Amino acid sequence: MKKDPNKVRNIGISAHIDAGKTTLTERILYYTRRIHAIHDVKGKDGVGATMDFMELEKERGITITSAATYCDWNDHEINIIDTPGHVDFTIEVERALRVLDGGILVLCSVGGVQSQSITVDRQMARYKVPCIAFVNKCDRSGANPMKVVDQLREKLGHNAVAMQVPIGLEADLQGVVDLVTMKAVYFDGENGENVRIEEIPDHLRAEAESRREALIDAASMFSDELMEAALEGEVPEDLLRAAIRRGTLTRELTPVFMGSAYKNKGVQPLLDAVTYYLPAPSEVENVALDMDRDEAPVTLESDPGKPLVALAFKLEEGRYGQLTYIRVYQGTLAKGDTIMNSRTGRKVKVGRVVRMHSNQMEDIESIPAGYIGALFGIDCASGDTFTSPDVHYSMTSMHVPEPVISLAIKPADNKAQDNMSKALSRFTKEDPTFRTYVNHETGDTIISGMGELHLEVYIERMRREYNAEVITGKPQVAYRETITRRAEFNYTHKKQTGGAGQYGRVAGWMEPVADEEFVFENQITGGAIPTEFIGSCEKGFRSAMEKGTLLGVPVTGIKVVINDGQAHSVDSSDMAFQAAARGAFKEGYAKANPVILEPIMKVAVETPAEYQGAVMGSLNQRRGMILGTQDEGEMCVIEAEVPLAEMFGYSTDLRSATQGKAQFTMEFATYRQVPKNIAEELIKKAAEKKKAAA
Amino acid sequence: MLKKDLILRNPLRLMGRETGHVLSEGGFGAVVARAGVGKTALLVQLALDHLLRGEDVLHVSLDQPVKKVCLWYDEVFRHIRDQYELPQAEELWESILPHRFIMTFNVDGFSVPKLEERVTDLTAQGLFEPQVLLVDGLPFDEAVREPLSEMKIFVREQGLRAWFSARAHRSAKPGEAALAAPLADVADFFEVILQLTPKGPEVEVQAAKMPEGAAAEGGIVLDPNTLLIKNKKG
Repeated sequence: MKKDPNKVRNIGISAHIDAGKTTLTERILYYTRRIHAIHDVKGKDGVGATMDFMELEKERGITITSAATYCDWNDHEINIIDTPGHVDFTIEVERALRVLDGGILVLCSVGGVQSQSITVDRQMARYKVPCIAFVNKCDRSGANPMKVVDQLREKLGHNAVAMQVPIGLEADLQGVVDLVTMKAVYFDGENGENVRIEEIPDHLRAEAESRREALIDAASMFSDELMEAALEGEVPEDLLRAAIRRGTLTRELTPVFMGSAYKNKGVQPLLDAVTYYLPAPSEVENVALDMDRDEAPVTLESDPGKPLVALAFKLEEGRYGQLTYIRVYQGTLAKGDTIMNSRTGRKVKVGRVVRMHSNQMEDIESIPAGYIGALFGIDCASGDTFTSPDVHYSMTSMHVPEPVISLAIKPADNKAQDNMSKALSRFTKEDPTFRTYVNHETGDTIISGMGELHLEVYIERMRREYNAEVITGKPQVAYRETITRRAEFNYTHKKQTGGAGQYGRVAGWMEPVADEEFVFENQITGGAIPTEFIGSCEKGFRSAMEKGTLLGVPVTGIKVVINDGQAHSVDSSDMAFQAAARGAFKEGYAKANPVILEPIMKVAVETPAEYQGAVMGSLNQRRGMILGTQDEGEMCVIEAEVPLAEMFGYSTDLRSATQGKAQFTMEFATYRQVPKNIAEELIKKAAEKKKAAA
Repeated sequence: MLKKDLILRNPLRLMGRETGHVLSEGGFGAVVARAGVGKTALLVQLALDHLLRGEDVLHVSLDQPVKKVCLWYDEVFRHIRDQYELPQAEELWESILPHRFIMTFNVDGFSVPKLEERVTDLTAQGLFEPQVLLVDGLPFDEAVREPLSEMKIFVREQGLRAWFSARAHRSAKPGEAALAAPLADVADFFEVILQLTPKGPEVEVQAAKMPEGAAAEGGIVLDPNTLLIKNKKG
């Protein structure tokens, strides 16, 4: 492991599904000599791409977990996290972005900026990850990389600038013209491993010159020196690169590269670009919170000599125990060190330290600041911060979305019972968006997550990795309840059954509140309810909100104000006021016109234009509200908001309606009121279920 | 405030006839201004006015993605909500949304036959039947007469009212009463032409062309902060 942190790049490769990022990663590993043969993603040769090591990933041709790997290029060490493209697995993308310093945004030269690219781009922006773009699949018919550069500007608002011009396109793709060196680059040999530099072909010279001018124009915004040099007509390569780098690091410029990973063209210049334009760990500001100083932010220094601060960003349960992927931000994490988990305060001794290459590993002595590695046998959850015992820092928490769908599962037999619990305990540790609990009313084990595919994948993994056959119920949507108007309450809880009694009166009102789950306000004056019982009232209201009266699901969006009440010198207690608040809640709730809310998903379907009508029809049937259609030549994108409850099995329907030519992405948008007739049905069903359980 | 009151309070009324429609069925209206003055904002307010009356509006944008057009509506509605302090804005918003449909095209990929085809896709399945058409971003260049003629036939056949945004050329002087070419060359297509002109901190909305019987009195401006229409004095 090299010790010069300026020569380290921690990068992620993000893209739309099927934009070819796994293939690209595979080629990168090949050219950097980490692997010695190339395999297809969909595994015709039965081996499958190196990064997609899980059986299931090979079968579906998608990447589910992000495997970390590293490679060497031009004296630089590049750590790559391969990130999944499907929205259901967004938490993986988010986690990866949290620990990365730079990204490659892979786009398809035919599809251009697709809906998922927009999601991924938004995530990169959230974590301020500087990125370069790679327009892949330039060998496909209909390839138009320059159009994609325009789309990056128009749709994603990037200040995108072409760094290359393709030599030939579609089946005729031969190489690229590098606009910095003004040379033509060709890729010879069976796997494109021999890079040949030539003069620019005559027919491309004029285009290359005008595009270079645009590049210099864009870059000179970041360097006065370059601007002067450009005016004098002499632009040294170093100066141009330095200016592009400056623009890239501040996310004000996005250099765009092009090629075809599958046809082995354009990957080596992209690797050069990673070393030229993406930041070293020391160039990225990372902030931790000092838990001893009221969470004051502390800027970390990428100095191996300072106290350790590291983040566990991914867990995996392997044959030899739990493997924890870790990024060190400050200090050094070495074998034999004692480190502290800042969440639990527990100290642990570091046993094995390894570096991962897909699913193989190699033992190392230490991980210095700026690097990514993995630890063995450390018990923690993903997102935990590890520090030297003398500091108490925590890395800022990652944004974890609430699950929107759940499913009841049951082990098929006794043997599966144990395995299922083992699997669930591992999955929940690995993935914070995957939750599990037991429903006490029905006794079912419930799993919940971010979408149908998300849960499906875990069920498959239970079968394959844990040999746990499970029977699944129908997916359940996470409904909520809320109120729609103000209502007053005045409730007295009184119990006299021998011994000490219970007494408490709570009065006030409740009203709907936007963007908040629960607001509690105490307007009592003159001690109508003694101060020590105000907390009991709040607790009572909160507990009542766990289960609404319509469906028995959590209630949200309510402001409760108490302004009067009464206590008894002997019979009033914490318990009594909690019970009074629960009663008051029920009383007010019934009058406040409660309604059911359902999760609404933002759905984007990309389809050939000829199926546009059919797709809109299919969304409409599912209670979808079509926001609009975006015409993109041959293809079109339909954007709609559809209740999650109606989206089950949509992928199958969409495939059959469009001969498999359309694809869709879906993410949570908002909660919205369920239409009356459906609400009535839901209430009826909930009542029947309750009756059956009783 | 009820939906009805909101319609009544709308300053756009000042331009309307008794039925509240400035345009007749099959009629064309244009909002003309230089870049960045507020054409889209005004179009969106015209759209919201129709939406509040329960009419179905098809918004065609030739230079902005669906997401961005949605944002325009969100923003304008948010300003209206704040200005009139609407109590149940959320509910009102959700009730009008199904009446809006956004279609975006690349400028190069747009043609009237294509638009007709898309609209037929919608109407044939009973998904959406527009009553009002907004076209934002159609380049008013020398070649605009042809698409406008095609559009006229289409709009008449469907019984729509159509509003267009037209970007005035940079050379058009602010406050110039006469319309600058190329809009002047195709002015015969339009019943109504509204011109936006920055005047001090505000943007004046002037009726460069109005049908007879419509209240052609001026006095409407765009608030520079919200781009909402308001009476000059108010």
